[in-house]
Amino acid sequence: MTRPTCSVLVLALALATAVAAQDQDPLLELQHLIQRAAERVAPCTVRVETFGGVRRAAAAGPAIADGARPEPRRGRRPAQKPDEDEHKPPDEKEGRRGRGLEGLVTPGFLQTQGATTGLILAADGWIAVSRFALAYDPTTILVTLADGRSFEAERKGEDTSRGIALVKIAAEGLPVPEIVDPETVRVGQWAIVLGRTFGQQQPSVHLGIVSATRRIFGRAVQVDANCSPANYGGPVLDLDGRVIGLCTPLSPAGRDAGVDWYDSGIGFAATLGDIGALLARMREGEVLHRGWLGVTTDPAFTGPGARIANVDPTSPAAGIGLKAKDVVVEVDGRPVRHHFELQMLIASRLAGEKAALAVERGGERVALEVVLAPLPAAERAAEKKGRVDDPMPWEEGR
Amino acid sequence: MLAAVLAACFAQQPYADAYSFAEREPRTPLERAIDAVLPCVVKVHGASGLATVQPYGSGVIVSEQGHVLALDQVMLQDGQTSVVLWDGSVHAAELLPPDEKLGVRMLKIDCGRPLPFLKPAADLSPPPGTIVFSVGNCFRLAEFSEKLSVTSGVLVARAKTGLRYRLQDVDYDGELWITDAMNNPGHGGGGLFTLDGKWIGLNAKVVTSRETNTHISAAIPVADLVPYIERWTLGKVAPPEPPAAPAARGWIGVKLFDHGSGQTSPPAYVERVVPGSPAALAGIKPDDLIVHVDGQPVRTCRQFHEAAAKLRPGQKVAITYKRGASVHKVELTLGEEKR
Repeated sequence: MTRPTCSVLVLALALATAVAAQDQDPLLELQHLIQRAAERVAPCTVRVETFGGVRRAAAAGPAIADGARPEPRRGRRPAQKPDEDEHKPPDEKEGRRGRGLEGLVTPGFLQTQGATTGLILAADGWIAVSRFALAYDPTTILVTLADGRSFEAERKGEDTSRGIALVKIAAEGLPVPEIVDPETVRVGQWAIVLGRTFGQQQPSVHLGIVSATRRIFGRAVQVDANCSPANYGGPVLDLDGRVIGLCTPLSPAGRDAGVDWYDSGIGFAATLGDIGALLARMREGEVLHRGWLGVTTDPAFTGPGARIANVDPTSPAAGIGLKAKDVVVEVDGRPVRHHFELQMLIASRLAGEKAALAVERGGERVALEVVLAPLPAAERAAEKKGRVDDPMPWEEGR
Repeated sequence: MLAAVLAACFAQQPYADAYSFAEREPRTPLERAIDAVLPCVVKVHGASGLATVQPYGSGVIVSEQGHVLALDQVMLQDGQTSVVLWDGSVHAAELLPPDEKLGVRMLKIDCGRPLPFLKPAADLSPPPGTIVFSVGNCFRLAEFSEKLSVTSGVLVARAKTGLRYRLQDVDYDGELWITDAMNNPGHGGGGLFTLDGKWIGLNAKVVTSRETNTHISAAIPVADLVPYIERWTLGKVAPPEPPAAPAARGWIGVKLFDHGSGQTSPPAYVERVVPGSPAALAGIKPDDLIVHVDGQPVRTCRQFHEAAAKLRPGQKVAITYKRGASVHKVELTLGEEKR
């Protein structure tokens, strides 16, 4: 072999390698993984349609320009066909009404009764949906599986702090997704949101990344994929097709966020991997609420600890004798460095849970134990800022 | 979402420099694809001065001779419409008759030289999750030879869905590409492409879903545009559509428990079934709740009547109803409505 031929060969080889390297676009590989992840969970995503019911609470706000927004009808049962509800024992009926419909409608947002999405959690017909889907207090909830079969779903328990509700259908042998431990989720990893609202064979797919973890007091992962009413209740996946959480409208405190943040690049996946025990309680029909202590703190107090400014007389805090000027320094052995930490520690708990408080009062340290309560209606409706117990948007008017 | 990429936008520099600055060679297939399609998408400017009319948009060159496909918009006025090419040259555009159903309109410019153009990838049907990019002049960020904006995302779905543009319902009943590559004012008329630069959609206006009230970035699939494009670029004329059949309505034979008034309409509970009607033969009974007509949800009596109005005698239709706690699906063949 002569030297020039050799060099030409080497050059050709080098060129070929360069071209091959150029064509290895990581996006092509990503595209393949996205589609594979979506295919993996597609059979576990269902379409949720609701019928009947009426919007009973709507936040005040500018009227929608097309005038299609009906006035909320408060305190009156709508004229509708009697259904199974009427044959239930009175306390059960009351239970359903009592938890009925919360203020999911934020100013400027016209909530429609379009289809939403749900995720199968157990082979025997347990399905997680967004509470948004049930905001109209529907008389009929219809679940359509990926294989086209439709079932009437029965409404079971809820976690209002995560925006999740459980429904049950009479089906067996359903496919169940793999759910990840939220502790393993990292900021920057891909997040895929599936929806089932366009009424077709394949679920709709949105792509984004994990923006933050441990949001909403440790209950959700924040993503920048489009999370809109069209895919509330749909799963948020990692690139392996494992479920990080359920797409729901959430906001940390304010009442002007949550639903109205949809498609803004701020979306939340309420985590599922860490709440097995709660899901078991929700199966029994239990409605879980975020815990309420019933104090406001003094933001001017720089700590350490959180100094109480006011105590709601009807609150658990009043029940254990917590007073203004008390300084809470520990919750369950965890130090409270400043007033916001008290809010975080309390808000991450559920109503009914116990919390052990260490309180400094007049130079002495007092140990108190409190059972947290759900937010009372008056507290929820109030428009004060700086409280320990700011309600979720849908906790108003409950 | 994948980060939106704004192609070079140096508004402070002279126009010539904004285009001719030294740009590194493209490295990835996506960069190469963007380079290849950018000269085929143009800025379209129209009549200004009308307060509510946005006087700018985008278009796609579809022939060497200068056919430019754009959305049919109010701003497109005879003698006031111009097309700006990738090199910054401005050309007066002749308006050809629009396709009213698709809401698109062909413009013709005469440059005296062959232009780069896009071929519709009409046979492609990529699944949801396919990475796409979208090219257009959103918010008129680019002027003259400044490059158009490129946004990226994935295909969300290919679906039929009720849409609203501003306050008006969109009368378009075909399927659309739904994407999360952001569509913004001005982006409409631009192109939607796969990673390898195949042209799959013409960006639609920024629309809202009637079903869920969410904003939707949509594009008209190119397969639907081919007949209109070829009518002008190849002189092919599609055979005239058969005259619309007299609109006899299909007869189902149920009367609903419809006592709603005003803006509310109750769920579609059956009050009475006409004996011997298609509904009666299929076993539908009073108190059944009709939930789907041909797979589409009917949540209210009004939606049922709307769906039923589109049905024709002899047509087969699938009806899903709920009786007690069980859900049933039946198929019935419609009779002719007696007037």
